[in-house]
Amino acid sequence: MRRLPTGLVFALPALIVLLMLIAYPVAYTGVLSVTDPSGAYTGLKNYQDVLSSRLTPRAFVNTLWWVGGSIVFQVSLGTAAAILLNQEFPGRGVVRAVSVIPWVVPGIVAATTWAWMFHTEFGIINYMLAGPGLISEPVGWLTNPDTVMPAMIAINVWKLFPFVSIMVLAGLQSIPKDLYEAARVDGATFWDETRYITLPQVRPVLMAVTLLLVIWALNHVTTIYAITKGGPANLTLITPIQIFRLGFESFQFNQAAALSVMFFLVAMVIVALYIRFLASGGETAR
Amino acid sequence: MRVSLPGRLALYASAGLLMAVCLFPFLWMVVSSVKELRELYTIPPTWVPRNPTLSNYATVLFSSNIPRYFLNSLVISLGATALSLALAIFASYGFARFSFRGKAAAQSFVLVGQLLPTAAIIVPLFVTLRWLDLVSTYLGLILVYMIITLPLSVWMLTSYFRAIPVELEEAAIIDGASRMGVLFRITLPLSLPGLVAVTIYAFVTTWNEFIFALCFATDSSVKTLPIGLAEFTTEFNTDWGAVMAASVIMTLPVALLFLSMQRLFIGGLMAGATKG
Repeated sequence: MRRLPTGLVFALPALIVLLMLIAYPVAYTGVLSVTDPSGAYTGLKNYQDVLSSRLTPRAFVNTLWWVGGSIVFQVSLGTAAAILLNQEFPGRGVVRAVSVIPWVVPGIVAATTWAWMFHTEFGIINYMLAGPGLISEPVGWLTNPDTVMPAMIAINVWKLFPFVSIMVLAGLQSIPKDLYEAARVDGATFWDETRYITLPQVRPVLMAVTLLLVIWALNHVTTIYAITKGGPANLTLITPIQIFRLGFESFQFNQAAALSVMFFLVAMVIVALYIRFLASGGETAR
Repeated sequence: MRVSLPGRLALYASAGLLMAVCLFPFLWMVVSSVKELRELYTIPPTWVPRNPTLSNYATVLFSSNIPRYFLNSLVISLGATALSLALAIFASYGFARFSFRGKAAAQSFVLVGQLLPTAAIIVPLFVTLRWLDLVSTYLGLILVYMIITLPLSVWMLTSYFRAIPVELEEAAIIDGASRMGVLFRITLPLSLPGLVAVTIYAFVTTWNEFIFALCFATDSSVKTLPIGLAEFTTEFNTDWGAVMAASVIMTLPVALLFLSMQRLFIGGLMAGATKG
């Protein structure tokens, strides 16, 4: 009898579970996408149906806005907060602990709390803006077509910038002190240090974090679904929510599968492009 | 490092702003949860509740489905945490201490799981669960949660196990310990911070998970807290006081877990990220 290698025996249970829950469904999505509910082969009909729907391009554009807007602000604000938290000042420990709160609060709780704060009539945000005269009348943040997507992005940024700062802070703390000392001997200011030492040194961390954020934003459903369900007038409909609606509200499993395949491919292309262009740029610059 | 006075003031101001931005929504949630209904709907809003009341909590605890959902969440999160911890410990030990054909492929397969767009597999997962007769069961959700907890857990624990000197294990084996004895008596006690980090990670992500629960738990006997909260807000007349009270109740376990173990957790997370 041939024995399995010991290491494989150890890894096997986890691998079987993941194969069953990842590899099989991924393959099965492909099958569902080219069949009809009775299982008969239909070619690319499901794809044509999905692509001819007005919602698909709309959701695609919304998804790009959602991912792009979230990432830009999460990374820039998160990095700024990390640089701040890396300075020495009394009470730094407290500020560090407090700044993790948004990340710890469950996503659905963040969504409901912000929905209440954005409330048109009784929301605290309209009240605070109206006080100093920044707005003359209450803004319908979650119903106005111009503000609803920015409001959603703001919630997502609030929720995840602490994650960026934790990771970047870890990177900052591993930068050798003598780099800064050498720069200061040469008369560098705080901004010089940030531009020429800090940012280049945390670049690998930023790359990894940004990749994770892109994937999370692409997958995100909670905030938008809990607050607007993709409305008003599909202005916040992003592709993951469209897949959910198609599959679990319209029960068009085969069309939902076709959309999943396209979404999967686009997501993989974005991730691959990102790794190819940005991450490899970091290697050569070193 | 000596900083000028304007520099220091700018530092304090930004630190204060950061604290306010992070803390305010959380505080507003707590304040709103103890306001009377009348006070919630007054203009201008009051900063401090005039007659603090626990009636919103009473509504949530005695006349809603939230307690049931809380129990469901607890069972599912604890079950998923235990299962993923058990699977991850063995898999990571296999990856960290042995070499075998296909190990690199297996490890990258596990990592790809972390990068997978989960929204793209909800439909086939639902079909799979229906075929296994596991839709709207605790076991079904616990299994599905392996997709989100296992990859990172395996990744983090593998780097933890690798960092433990292999000589310690060899010495134990010369003294007559079995492989399992070595794993449970030497390796695991030495990687306690990693185990804590993985446990918290698994518990918190499953406690907060939304889309899988929304798709695969369609019956109120297995629905979890996030779904319950979403149902609360989407009903036509939202009782915001009760919603805020339910939000506080849902945040408490996670917040307590994090605050008590913040140092260990962030340390473990960073070790996994940098050593990987």
